[in-house]
Amino acid sequence: CLFFFLSSWLPQMVPSRGSHWQSSLLTLRASLPMRAQPKKKKKVDPRREQAQKDRMKKKIKKLEKAAPEMIPIEDFVTPPKYLDNSRVRSLPPLSFEETERRVLLMKRWCLFKQKQDKAEKQAIQTLIAAQQEALKELRLESEELYQAAIRRDEGLFPFEREGPNYTPPLPGYDPPEGKCVDITKVYTQ
Amino acid sequence: TAAATRPWRLFGAMCLLRLPRITQPLQKEEEEMAALMEQIELEKSHYSDHEIRKLQEEEQLRRRKESAYDDEDEAPGKMVIMAQDLEEKWEQKLLSFKAAPRITDADKNNNRTSLNRKLDSNLMLLVKQKIGNQELWLLPQVEWQPGETLRGTAERAMSTFLGDHIQAKVLGNAPYGIYKYKFPRAIRTEDNVGAKVFFFKAFLQSSDLSQAELKEDYLWVTKDELGDYLKSEYLKKVNRFLLD
Repeated sequence: CLFFFLSSWLPQMVPSRGSHWQSSLLTLRASLPMRAQPKKKKKVDPRREQAQKDRMKKKIKKLEKAAPEMIPIEDFVTPPKYLDNSRVRSLPPLSFEETERRVLLMKRWCLFKQKQDKAEKQAIQTLIAAQQEALKELRLESEELYQAAIRRDEGLFPFEREGPNYTPPLPGYDPPEGKCVDITKVYTQ
Repeated sequence: TAAATRPWRLFGAMCLLRLPRITQPLQKEEEEMAALMEQIELEKSHYSDHEIRKLQEEEQLRRRKESAYDDEDEAPGKMVIMAQDLEEKWEQKLLSFKAAPRITDADKNNNRTSLNRKLDSNLMLLVKQKIGNQELWLLPQVEWQPGETLRGTAERAMSTFLGDHIQAKVLGNAPYGIYKYKFPRAIRTEDNVGAKVFFFKAFLQSSDLSQAELKEDYLWVTKDELGDYLKSEYLKKVNRFLLD
């Protein structure tokens, strides 16, 4: 078998000389891929990387387990600029007659609302009674029509209706142009 | 199975309601209460930015008048828009807008066939129909035919008098009221004693009935005006299921 000895320590490719260089160069330089084998990585590295990944995952789990931050309700928080004292309205105090008038008006309002509510409830009761009577008569007539009548009407709900306005719509009215910019703050948990 | 001939004939009638388009006028207590609520709200509130600006400008004006017009801080010819001017401008703009009147022409003429009358209350459809040998004002009704539900009969009644292109939302499958009457003795037979009229309710969705082909005489009336047209017994039963 032949031994190749490289004459210099430079990384260049030096052609091997004869066997008379043998005395100084006893070491074999293996900088060239002498034996065709892939580079071995250090064993510690994959384990270290794995440990790092585990630590990161644990941290993520801890953060997720923590309770989500509450979204502040903007309506319940008074902005500080309105807590200033200079904004308090200065009005003359109420007279005795005024307070009396207010109290009496509140009492009349109470009575008014009570009567209104009672009348509404009475009307609903009459409505129900009339319907029950109609269904009773229908049942006496024919059972199948009765069954068809008491079946639920799927198309009825959701029932949508626009409420009445103060004035009827103006025919041919062209509302003025404008742009609405929405500045509500959106919070994400 | 042969159905036993029942002595009562069945009719399905539709009470078509046009819902109110404007709010009803406030009653005296409601108006007083509304005014009081506004007053209390004003008393409990703080000054807004616009009001503070207005107050400051009034202060400035007063001071300038007292100290006899010193123009140190304001070069002549510079236009300053005061809060008061803004308010006046807004007021002008509001006055220049003219809304549609709440009492329409149909109201003034008392044109009972028009839908634009009495925009703040419910309007019901009444049709003149021939029952027996009498011409009566009734809610549109049609005789029930075997094979359809009573709601179908009521819808058929509606389309008979108003055409097919009517957009109405029927409120449920169940009847709202019933009117039972016996035929006069002359016509009454063993198996044809009388008739039962079942009422159904529907809300009119579309406000224009130009496509409707109304064949008979028709009227749109409010609950109070029903008494002018309907017979007393019929009216009593109809009033039971009408909310005003």
